[in-house]
Amino acid sequence: MEILKQRPSRHPVERLTLLVLLLLSSVTLLTTLGVILSLLGDVVQFFRRVPLAEFLFAPEWTPLFAEPRYGIAPLLAGTFLVTAIALFVAVPLGLALAVYVSEYLPSDKRARVLGVLELFGGIPTVVFGYFALLFVTPLLQKVIPGLSLFNPLSAGLVMGFAILPYVSNVAADAMQSVPRSIREAAYALGARPYEVALKVVLPAALSGVIAAIILAASRAIGETMIVAIAAGQRPTLTLDPRETIATMTSYIVQAATGDQPVGSTAYYALFAVGFTLFLLTLALNVLAQYIVERYRERYE
Amino acid sequence: MNRTPTPEAFGQDPWKARIDRVFARALVLPLLLALGLLALLLGDTLYRSVSVQVVRADMGPGHTYPFGLSAETILRQELLAQGYTEEEAAFMLQDPKERNALFLQNRVELMWNTHEGPFRYVVTNVYDERVADFSLAEGLRRWNELKANLQEGERLVLNPWLDQTFLTRPPSRSPLTAGIGVAIWGTVWVLSLALFFAIPVGIGTAILLEEYLREGRLSRILEVNLRNLAGVPSIVYGLLGLALFVRGMGLGPSVLAAALTLGLLGIPVIVVTAREALRAVPDSLRLAAFALGATQRQVVFRVVVPAALPGMVTGVILSAARLIGEAAPLLLVGAAAYVPFAPTGPLSQYTVIPVQIYLWISQNQPEFARVAAAGILVMLLLLSALYLMALYLRNRFRREW
Amino acid sequence: MVSLEQLKEHQTVRTDPVPESQALVDVRQLSLWYGTKQALYDISVRFPKNQVTAIIGPSGCGKSTLLRSLNRMNDLVPGVRVKGEVLYEGVNIYDPRVDPVAVRRHIGMVFQKPNPFPKTIFENVAFGLRLMGVKGSELEDRVVEALKRAALWEEVKDRFKKESGLRLSGGQQQRLCIARAIAVEPPLLLMDEPTSALDPIATQAIEDLILELKERYTVVIVTHNMQQAARVSDRTLFMHLGVLVEEGPTEVIFTKPKHPYTEAYITGRFG
Repeated sequence: MEILKQRPSRHPVERLTLLVLLLLSSVTLLTTLGVILSLLGDVVQFFRRVPLAEFLFAPEWTPLFAEPRYGIAPLLAGTFLVTAIALFVAVPLGLALAVYVSEYLPSDKRARVLGVLELFGGIPTVVFGYFALLFVTPLLQKVIPGLSLFNPLSAGLVMGFAILPYVSNVAADAMQSVPRSIREAAYALGARPYEVALKVVLPAALSGVIAAIILAASRAIGETMIVAIAAGQRPTLTLDPRETIATMTSYIVQAATGDQPVGSTAYYALFAVGFTLFLLTLALNVLAQYIVERYRERYE
Repeated sequence: MNRTPTPEAFGQDPWKARIDRVFARALVLPLLLALGLLALLLGDTLYRSVSVQVVRADMGPGHTYPFGLSAETILRQELLAQGYTEEEAAFMLQDPKERNALFLQNRVELMWNTHEGPFRYVVTNVYDERVADFSLAEGLRRWNELKANLQEGERLVLNPWLDQTFLTRPPSRSPLTAGIGVAIWGTVWVLSLALFFAIPVGIGTAILLEEYLREGRLSRILEVNLRNLAGVPSIVYGLLGLALFVRGMGLGPSVLAAALTLGLLGIPVIVVTAREALRAVPDSLRLAAFALGATQRQVVFRVVVPAALPGMVTGVILSAARLIGEAAPLLLVGAAAYVPFAPTGPLSQYTVIPVQIYLWISQNQPEFARVAAAGILVMLLLLSALYLMALYLRNRFRREW
Repeated sequence: MVSLEQLKEHQTVRTDPVPESQALVDVRQLSLWYGTKQALYDISVRFPKNQVTAIIGPSGCGKSTLLRSLNRMNDLVPGVRVKGEVLYEGVNIYDPRVDPVAVRRHIGMVFQKPNPFPKTIFENVAFGLRLMGVKGSELEDRVVEALKRAALWEEVKDRFKKESGLRLSGGQQQRLCIARAIAVEPPLLLMDEPTSALDPIATQAIEDLILELKERYTVVIVTHNMQQAARVSDRTLFMHLGVLVEEGPTEVIFTKPKHPYTEAYITGRFG
């Protein structure tokens, strides 16, 4: 209750308590500040050495070559490719799961199934990467000739399952917040369960569903271990899912595990990529929040 | 509309009724698919964690030893079989330094089956050479053939890679002797320190937001910021850790730098779960405490927080489970190095379980995939234990207000 | 106080019972259980064509349950069990060969709280029609017709294709829900306390509308507002604890009730 949050009295102990709490919570703000500043400092260093135009438009990312090129495009293409494949799996499966859980399961089973799905989110992504590289890729290679050992296809497919709960559980939440009375109205008009789910509940929950998809996309873009293990670490400007590629995240892993001397352009490039990644995911998260707030239906 | 009094009068719509039935059934498929994948993943990992091997001993005849002997007895016999005298063997097992080196170089492992019979010990030396490694199915099918073709000094074993010694041994460049012990200790160190930082901040922020701040600019800023932090990819936290803790504060690739990085990553999760726990405490409790003349602080810390404690603990356990699996940020703050010893303090070098698994996966030797599978099983068991603990706590302390 | 055992011993007291020939709906010995809990006891009653029948009674008396068993909305509740018959134009809607979804297309329903879909006004009214496969200009005509009959057309005619049904006022929303229900021309319209969430002026508008609607439709309305029952209905059913205590012409129920419980309720001594 809002009214219970009274102004603390002037008693010193009360004020001290509030002060301590404020100090503790300021850490969360400082973290954001730290992320931005620590990245920004090195990003500035990077752009002192590499012109922005090269970063944006050069078609190659080869920081360790004798004549290094720093074009982000191959990394963006790789990230986009893996993310698209992951969403291609996660969106239809996740939405179908959300409809099933929210509209077809009785409430006691609903919580249990959502809990099981959360387990997917709880599995460390190294495990998914291992599965993609050693199980899915050999399987796919039998079907698809010319598939590299490291490829975005199997990484993306497996990542689709890793981000599944972000789609299904968030979308199911959105559908659950559609009031029961609206479902009853549709049933009273002679709608069948599938018509209620597809023509009434899903459209009513649309903003939440779209937000769920955007959040899942943001997860996929920032996901690191699956791509680092299974998609490879060779920046290639291609949209062919059979070829070895690198994503922004897998490049960061590669650069960090190799030993870049501090102060080298390659070291600063790490932060330029990281900052791009940060901006991209931040933009998606803000967009998702905006959609939820802006288009939330106000029910009576 | 013209109706005659028969039940069909209301009209039938067999097509739509059929769509409805098909739809309801089809919707179960994604769930089955997801569960199937989960089962496949676990099954595949389990399957890969066992293999049939032919190994050529570096020295000695490649004997196996019967079940029930102590590791020390087995090592002594192995030393004798390798040609050392009784005195030399006794010395090597008594001198602390020699003994330590001996146990690091040799792994005494219980095999499920060997060419000399089931459940026997073998001693694996770092320098032992793998002749062949087969999957369980192929290995068992060809068991007799392999046994017949064994050369002098070779042994045939059904190797469960995940065994007791795997849990305690340090990493090794030979997959035969690699263990996850150092990484387990690294995880324990990093995780406990990370929670040590994250719990006060996370719970303090939750209390501030739920119990103190009215809706206003500050609470709005804090909330938006937390929501955005929760969406920042974990590897970006790694870059923050690299710039701020490893380089900026000069901590180097240490347990402390890793713990601070993971701690920051864990805060948003702890805040969210702690806020839920606080929100579940009914206002009637607060009102009752206020009516007794308690101050804000007394209400919060003597009434509300104790009531919300089980929920908060559950939340902390769940966030710990999430942090255990994090490899990406720690790769950037030094976990990727080869570390032969468990950490001894906050400034020690370290590695953690998921990073160790990643390093094994990246190795060229195919047997490291088996070591990685064993590592994954260890990590999943650890996670299951945490989830069960959280589940138990949630059910044990569930209250109906 | 009235106990269930006492009530069950009584036969329903009936004044001027509706002859079978005039009944649109004929409920015969209907009992209903939610799991093991019985909610309706052996109810028999006829609802006459083109008249308004009100169901009154204290809360929890089963009046909504009876209403919802008329269009098989109760089927949506897990563990519900029904005995007896509900004849709709002579057809038992609980016959196993009857598709409950098809039944609902013939019977309109308006709920306690206005519950428009988060769609445009047009799409709200068009929903039932689309389910029946109505398209094109006929769809448009029938939507407009329904809005007119629900006395909402004048207020929304310049924005009904763009504006969300949720942006209307509470009273307008309820009229939209009525338009949505009557768009498919159901001979029977069920109303479950349709004005309980509305202010007096909006209530007045709905009551006027109900009186107009009975020209074309048969209306069954559940209400806990006795004045409303007296104002809009031709016949009234009084229920208590899942038992139909008394039924008859509204003026009889309200002025000369025969059953002591009915009288006690009407005069405000319980409920």
